Amino acid sequence: MKSIRLYLIMSLLAAVTLGNFVAAVYGYRSSMAETEVLLDNQLADTAAIMQMMRPGTQRVSLPPSERLAFQVWTADRKLVQRSKNSSPDPITELKEGYRDENFEGYRWRVLSQFDADASLWLMVAERIDIRIDLADNIVLRALLPIIISLPLIAAIVWLVVGNGLSLIGKLAKELREKRADDLTRLGTANPPVELVPVVDAINGLLHRLDASIKRERRFSSDAAHELRTPISALKVHVHNLRKQFPDNNEDLRVLDRDLGRLSHLIEQIMVLYRTSPEHYQASMRSINLSDLARSVIAELYSDVDARGQTISLSGTSQTIIGDEDSLRIMLANLIQNASKYSPEGASITVSVDKEELGIWLGVKDTGPGIPLTEINQVFDRFRRVGGDRHGSAVDGCGLGLSIVKHIASLHQANISLQNNEDGPGLTVSVFFPADLHVFMGMEGNRR
Amino acid sequence: MQILLVEDDRSLATGLCKALRSEGFITNHVAEGKAALHTIGVDPPDMVVLDLGLPDMDGLDVLRKIRSSGSTVPVLILTARASIDARVSGLDSGADDYLPKPFEIPELIARLRVIERRLSTTNDSRIQVGDVALDTIARQAFYKGEPVELARREYTVLKSLVENCGKVQTRDQLESRLYAWGEEVSSNALEVHVHHLRKKFGSDFIKTVRGVGYTVRKP
Repeated sequence: MKSIRLYLIMSLLAAVTLGNFVAAVYGYRSSMAETEVLLDNQLADTAAIMQMMRPGTQRVSLPPSERLAFQVWTADRKLVQRSKNSSPDPITELKEGYRDENFEGYRWRVLSQFDADASLWLMVAERIDIRIDLADNIVLRALLPIIISLPLIAAIVWLVVGNGLSLIGKLAKELREKRADDLTRLGTANPPVELVPVVDAINGLLHRLDASIKRERRFSSDAAHELRTPISALKVHVHNLRKQFPDNNEDLRVLDRDLGRLSHLIEQIMVLYRTSPEHYQASMRSINLSDLARSVIAELYSDVDARGQTISLSGTSQTIIGDEDSLRIMLANLIQNASKYSPEGASITVSVDKEELGIWLGVKDTGPGIPLTEINQVFDRFRRVGGDRHGSAVDGCGLGLSIVKHIASLHQANISLQNNEDGPGLTVSVFFPADLHVFMGMEGNRR
Repeated sequence: MQILLVEDDRSLATGLCKALRSEGFITNHVAEGKAALHTIGVDPPDMVVLDLGLPDMDGLDVLRKIRSSGSTVPVLILTARASIDARVSGLDSGADDYLPKPFEIPELIARLRVIERRLSTTNDSRIQVGDVALDTIARQAFYKGEPVELARREYTVLKSLVENCGKVQTRDQLESRLYAWGEEVSSNALEVHVHHLRKKFGSDFIKTVRGVGYTVRKP
């Protein structure tokens, strides 16, 4: 079945037609019976009038009629009088009452009556086919409006069914407009009884889906979380071993470096789960982006300084609505990337400034930049510029920028990469549109 | 200096005890919150290093019980809960410091030293960074072994930088320490102090991180 509307219209019209047909047949039969009684009475009246006009006393010339015929007989079976269209033979036997007879090529309805005063038999006959035509006309006139009204009924059914089905359309619209991460119940207020099971089933599914996604997320987050303690233990043991082998043991150095990589990877994975939309929505606040950048730079300064690089903050003090934890991670990833992929002695500049349409955050380095052919792919997870050739000198897991992009998109911010125009190096820009932040600020207040 | 380590992970606890003992801290270890409260009640340590994920009770509840019993023992929280909110609620509950896992051991030791110096019970009240030394009890600074006269605010800035050497102290952090003296700080007061300190300890000693703050490099 392709269309509920078409199906309903066809079946409803079929039902209406069938109902009408049954009613028409019944009506036809009862109309016929009624008509027969009526016409029989009329025949009796005609006979009564003729009886009053005694034959012989007065010449009666009846108007020529196809429909009616009559004969008058004496009690001893002599024909006294007859209409032109009747034969000289008796139409029917001399016996009182109504009968159907054949003569002159037609079927007739005949009434025979005996007049005891004049001692005469009177037979009046009427053609049955004419009677049926009459009855047919009467019945057809009654049926005609029903037939004419069928298209009207179809049109009304079409509209009514369409109107009823529009509730399904509304439900579909609501489902269509639901965000991928919005697993709350459907908001359809008072759905029609027939849609209640569907809405309930969808809500049930959403609920189960929500629970399972939450479970998955919690599991991943917990698993990464649980890894922090053994990693800490490993670090302590490596530290203690170092104390026992102070002379720059190569194996210990490699162990320490790999432990650092493992630790970094786990932290980055945890960030991806921690910055899930629900976590982030609940923790939206007004945040001074410049102060945050200052604090992140201070935290990372020793790593940057260890590579002989300089770092500075420029611009003006700007406030956005955001989630501090994830913005901190975003800034840290951007600065760490700039430092990691720039040579010793490079300089990194973090800028925060107001533009016409929003707040702009830039992290500029004086490293090698990124080849134009690869500039669009760096946001892919586990993607590193230069592929495997990259790995020897720089540790990394390739998650950094995809996390940055994830966090930026949670803040409705745009991120773009650009090789510097005034020399070698790369600038990563994150743009926080102002109007969106006004809107998000309102969201934040409502919560 | 006696430290009570409250940590339920056996491997981490063993390693930490060893590391802290090698740094000269007398370290005792318990694995549960109730045992920790008992030990603090019977034999109060000088410092507590507290893990929040304990098997019998939440570490923050242990901390609140320690504080509600009237104890002011310094508590450093060590935890896998790293978010800002967790940090804030830890400090609100009366912790003196907060170190998220996984941490670097030198970082933990440096923070314990800061607490130690604040308690002033240590014989080692001297902090040495290159040619510059600070006696935190006598509030005296030395340059190449010679005492240097410092104004109180200069000393505050210097101590903050030296204690956190290798890290950047932001303008806000440094200024809040000056405000703690209850004095009005003019907009360039910090620059003036740093200028004076550079005159006394060499121009390379304090490095400016433009837009961020100041730092003293590790020798």
